Amino acid sequence: MSQIFILCVEDEPEVLEAVVRDLAPFEPLFTIEATASADEARRVVASVILPAGKLGVVVCDHIMPGEDGVSFLVALQRDPRTAAARKILLTAHAGLEATVEAVNHAGLNHYVAKPWKAEELVAIVRHQLTEFVAAEETNLIPYLGVLEADRLADRIRQAPLPGDE
Amino acid sequence: MKAKHTAGIVAGLVGLIAPLFLELPGLNFAGQVTLGIFLMAGCFWVMEPVPIYTTSLLVIFLEVLLLSAEGPLVTAARLPSAPARKVAVADGTPAWEVPTKALKNDRGVLLERPGQAPQSIEAKIVQRNGETVWIQAAGLGESSRVISDPTHWLTTYKPTPYRTFFASLADPVIILFMGGCLLADASVKYRLDRALTSLFLAPMGSAPSMITLGLLLVSATLSAFMSNTATTAMMMTLVMPILAKLPERDPLRIAVVLAIPVGANIGGIATPIGTPPNAIALAALTKQGAHLPFATWVLLALPIVLITLLLAWLVLIWLYPSTSREIQLGFQDRFERTPKAMGMYVVFGLTALLWLTEQQHGISSNIVAFLPIVALPIFGIIGKKEIHNLPWDVLWLMAGGISLGTALRDTGLAEWAVRQVEWSSMGGYAIVAGLALFSFALANFLSHTVTVTLLAPIAVTVGATSTEISGFSLANAMVAVAVASSYGMSLPISTPPNAIAMGTGVLETRHLIRAGGTIGLIGIALTLFMARFYWPLFLK
Repeated sequence: MSQIFILCVEDEPEVLEAVVRDLAPFEPLFTIEATASADEARRVVASVILPAGKLGVVVCDHIMPGEDGVSFLVALQRDPRTAAARKILLTAHAGLEATVEAVNHAGLNHYVAKPWKAEELVAIVRHQLTEFVAAEETNLIPYLGVLEADRLADRIRQAPLPGDE
Repeated sequence: MKAKHTAGIVAGLVGLIAPLFLELPGLNFAGQVTLGIFLMAGCFWVMEPVPIYTTSLLVIFLEVLLLSAEGPLVTAARLPSAPARKVAVADGTPAWEVPTKALKNDRGVLLERPGQAPQSIEAKIVQRNGETVWIQAAGLGESSRVISDPTHWLTTYKPTPYRTFFASLADPVIILFMGGCLLADASVKYRLDRALTSLFLAPMGSAPSMITLGLLLVSATLSAFMSNTATTAMMMTLVMPILAKLPERDPLRIAVVLAIPVGANIGGIATPIGTPPNAIALAALTKQGAHLPFATWVLLALPIVLITLLLAWLVLIWLYPSTSREIQLGFQDRFERTPKAMGMYVVFGLTALLWLTEQQHGISSNIVAFLPIVALPIFGIIGKKEIHNLPWDVLWLMAGGISLGTALRDTGLAEWAVRQVEWSSMGGYAIVAGLALFSFALANFLSHTVTVTLLAPIAVTVGATSTEISGFSLANAMVAVAVASSYGMSLPISTPPNAIAMGTGVLETRHLIRAGGTIGLIGIALTLFMARFYWPLFLK
């Protein structure tokens, strides 16, 4: 079982704290990394996440000082080591241009409008983690308790099993 | 490539070639080749430099190339023969001139017969002329040819047609197993497995110890008809979401995750199609002309299955007592009522009924197994997808073992091997017990199918001399070997259901060793008991 990371990028400390708190239910199986800017996030990906495991889901704020969220997600999408990560954009006001860029070039998987409800964010992240795990992992059983069990169970039932009893 | 793989390949190739250079009195060249194939397959199956089913395919290929009548080796090694020439008539009996080297111990010659093994005929020497000799022998005629090299290996080995080796891929027991697989696939497709699980677990209530018992029983019941691995995977998908709701430190989590593979491993013993080792044992028995009906197997196996399940339950609740008062399973799966699902129930029920009443109607379970293979696709209950998804690797793995058995018998290697040991000095039961213990020991480390594949020929060879050994029954030995292999479940590598249980992340290896080891030892002890007191009642 490889270590799978959830990366949160958000410049406002209270909002970042809220995201991390909302995602706590995933903590036993997934490791959450909280970062305050695209730059810091990039460093964490390179020095913490990739050496230890895989980047599973990115929850990223759109408008931040310095590099904005969409540009950071596009960079992740272009890097083969992080292209498979599921990408969620947090945004208060989604302009058309940024939306188009995010969908077309960042492989964006979900928009979350600020403010969000905790259950809503958990459900979205759960769905994206399920998709990531179903696509990238071979042993899905440990995730049944935390992610979308039906979807994973179907995958397990369809997968070829070792037959050499 | 890992060092172990390299070692496996080297050991396998040495095993293949070494017998050709050894002095093995009484074993002909074909037997030496077979011994080589057997040793190579053994090394490959144990060390796994290549996947085990590919070793099976290699076995069949080598047999066809090196042993079959149509293979290049036998075709190239034609028996040398010479014509018998009529020379003179002394006292009214014709004499024949043949090469001196055609004489066998100065007593007779081998007469060539097209399409058949040479016939040994007695001959009286009339006159020796150096290179040739004049003989008188009944059976020689104008167009007769004698074998000019009576020590040639082909005089004692009648090559097996290559069809026989290929036929192992469709051996009746393979068909039996395939029928079982298709039934299982159809059950999974229409969620019969989940519905049965809900049905069985509902009356168990919410007490943790009863739930553990329920899971053991359901896993065992399903794996009696499905593969142990598929059963374990399915059950895990059902229980893992529930485990997530239990307190992290509750030992019940461990008990539940252990109950499923343990139940599945034990349940596989119950029927001939429960797990491949059973089918391999049956195939070996059938080759020896001792057919074991489906219902007889169930009659033999069911008591030990039930007793082990009960003891396994006690072991699990004793080792891992729950700290929770109750858990709600909340399984809500219902039986599907669509026409296709109903059709599947009918085919399943009819097949199971015919399997269990074999002694009443006399139709072999191997033939009955073709009913679901035909009926399920005809009624569109399963389609091409399920047929493509059949576990071909398992079927081929089994076929390799079956064809190896054929070669051992046809080349005389089996008979030769028996003569190397003073079997009659041992008690019949001691041999059965020894084989069962060996099977159990190997199965903890090897694939159970491979274990039985390697041990079946040994049991069969001993069985060939069984008349001399009191208390030895080949059927008893084969059942014991197959049952014992299923109890090899103390390590994550012992069998795929264990590997799946380890993959949940709930278990540590020591849990598996403690519970699986204890239950396995109980199982092998019961096997030895059954082989002594119960199975002989039904197996002569």
